Amino acid sequence: MPKQIDFPEVISKLKDFYSIRKRLPSFAEIQSLLGYSSKGGVSVLMAHLLKRGVLKRDSKGKFVPSPILEGGIKLLGTVQAGFPSPAEEELVDTLSLDEFLIKNPQASYLVKVSGDSMIDAGIMPDDLVIVERGRQPRHGDIVIAEVDGEWTLKYYEKHGAKVLLRPANKKYPLIEPKAELVVGGVVVANVRKYK
Amino acid sequence: MSASTNRPLSISSFPKPIIHIDCDAFFTSVEQALNPELRGKPVVTGKERGIVACASYEAKALGVKRPMRLWEAQKLLPKLICLPSDYETYSLYSTRMFEIMRRFTPTVEEYSIDEAFAELSGLRRLHRAGYEEIAWKIKQAIQTELGLTVSVGLSASKTLAKIAGKEKKPDGFFVLPASELHLYLPKVPLERVCGFGPNTVALLEKQGIRNVWDYVSRPEAWAQRLLGKIGVELWHELRGDAVHPVMTEVKDDYASISKTKTFTPPSSEKDFVRAQLIRNLESAFIKIRRHKLRAKVMAVFLRSQDFRSLGVEAGLDRSTSSILDAVGLAGELFESIFRPGTLYRSTGVVLSKLEADRTMQYSLFDDVPKIESMKRIDKVMDDVNEHYGKHALHLGTSLWLGKHRQHIAGRGDLPERKMQLLKGETFRCRIGIPIWNVKV
Repeated sequence: MPKQIDFPEVISKLKDFYSIRKRLPSFAEIQSLLGYSSKGGVSVLMAHLLKRGVLKRDSKGKFVPSPILEGGIKLLGTVQAGFPSPAEEELVDTLSLDEFLIKNPQASYLVKVSGDSMIDAGIMPDDLVIVERGRQPRHGDIVIAEVDGEWTLKYYEKHGAKVLLRPANKKYPLIEPKAELVVGGVVVANVRKYK
Repeated sequence: MSASTNRPLSISSFPKPIIHIDCDAFFTSVEQALNPELRGKPVVTGKERGIVACASYEAKALGVKRPMRLWEAQKLLPKLICLPSDYETYSLYSTRMFEIMRRFTPTVEEYSIDEAFAELSGLRRLHRAGYEEIAWKIKQAIQTELGLTVSVGLSASKTLAKIAGKEKKPDGFFVLPASELHLYLPKVPLERVCGFGPNTVALLEKQGIRNVWDYVSRPEAWAQRLLGKIGVELWHELRGDAVHPVMTEVKDDYASISKTKTFTPPSSEKDFVRAQLIRNLESAFIKIRRHKLRAKVMAVFLRSQDFRSLGVEAGLDRSTSSILDAVGLAGELFESIFRPGTLYRSTGVVLSKLEADRTMQYSLFDDVPKIESMKRIDKVMDDVNEHYGKHALHLGTSLWLGKHRQHIAGRGDLPERKMQLLKGETFRCRIGIPIWNVKV
């Protein structure tokens, strides 16, 4: 039974090759690229590609790429001619939402907020804050800290050698750690999903 | 010959600097890192299996050992906290540990879920630090970012690094330069070498070898004669001459793939036990296709309530990645070992003689159109299950599983992460970031 050729797959691989090397692969290279066991198989494939217009022959009979493959050089969209539109160009350097919210993925954790001591800072119960462990807290950062055996979410304030934890809710008092303060991590983002 | 008169094996400290990093009581440490109220308490994981899979240092100190039946451990220590294993979160932690290591060096070998090797040569200038300091920085980074402790061994080969890493646990850090082996190895008993099992140790002791130094002091030819190739490799490794490379590629050449599941309560119902077995077979074939492999040999086994196992192995007609090629045979094998009236507690499947599922040489008698159509069925099943969740589309036999989850009663407990889904998460699919359970 003849092997089914997965044309989109084949074309995308040839495109990748062409965009990096700026030339067509040799038969041997296609063989290893697509996992053919013989060059005979490759030549059958080439005939198919010729028929589909993915490849062309030049005046001397050599294989040359068609615009379908050359299109792969261009990083942006599938425009075959003309200048890439500025809108497409802008897409080259974008951040995913993950990258936008998280700086160090290995040290970041989700914490579900239950209390209301930071509502004036816009952190509501049931919000998910992203906390980075091991980051050095600075004055004004929001931190997760263990104070005298209790965990809390507060503003971190440094006054000289003294550290204070300030809530963002008038109902709660300013915390001055008596025995021990361990900063577990610094809040780097807050996520609230409505739907 | 006394240790003080031994001569150094090497004048260089680290001809090839290799570190071994091992998490301390990994599963329970992850639980304790994410749940502050578990810290300092005796905790074990493995509730869903009914055995102690991992015990925290607090639990170990009070006599809980691995492997122990859970009820034994609870009888010993009534205040013991037993948690169901949360492999998803453990895997996230594992990946994070490897990623942190890769920030320092690209040459990292993921040895197991909680263990890794890394090779540091050439990195001193990049990090402006000696090997010892780099190893220390890696340890500190893992500990602050993951919130658990690891034990680190730095030495001149994988075998030595592993020995050094076990020198002190938990929170260990031990540096063993090749130039000091002659002082250290006389103190190391043979069984601490990864590769010397009880039988090898017994054989070596008969030869008058009492410790690792005795072993490396003998000539290479002697090691060759006694233990063959493996013995010679270890002989070099233990002399600080690294022969086992740190392998960076993710392991995907499995010698065999096995799937075993225990279910409670135990059952003697034939259709149900068969369905359990077929479900394992389905899982094994899903895995085999994910790794683009196929198998030539299949073994099935049943384990009864009194922990007696009965297994049988048979060759498949052809090397295959399709469950439809195997399910008939699996049914026959099941019939041959199933004993009516016996209570069974687990079933398992092992696929072996694996090879890459690339080229296919059909034999003269193969029904090629049928094989091709089976491949298409596999593809459809994999696609559907990827979309709707594992086992959403399955063989009719597994319908006998009914609504029965793996375990009824307490052992059916799911990890908290699977119980408390965030908005938008499903039972099958959750955010790949650990949730830190602090009440704030």
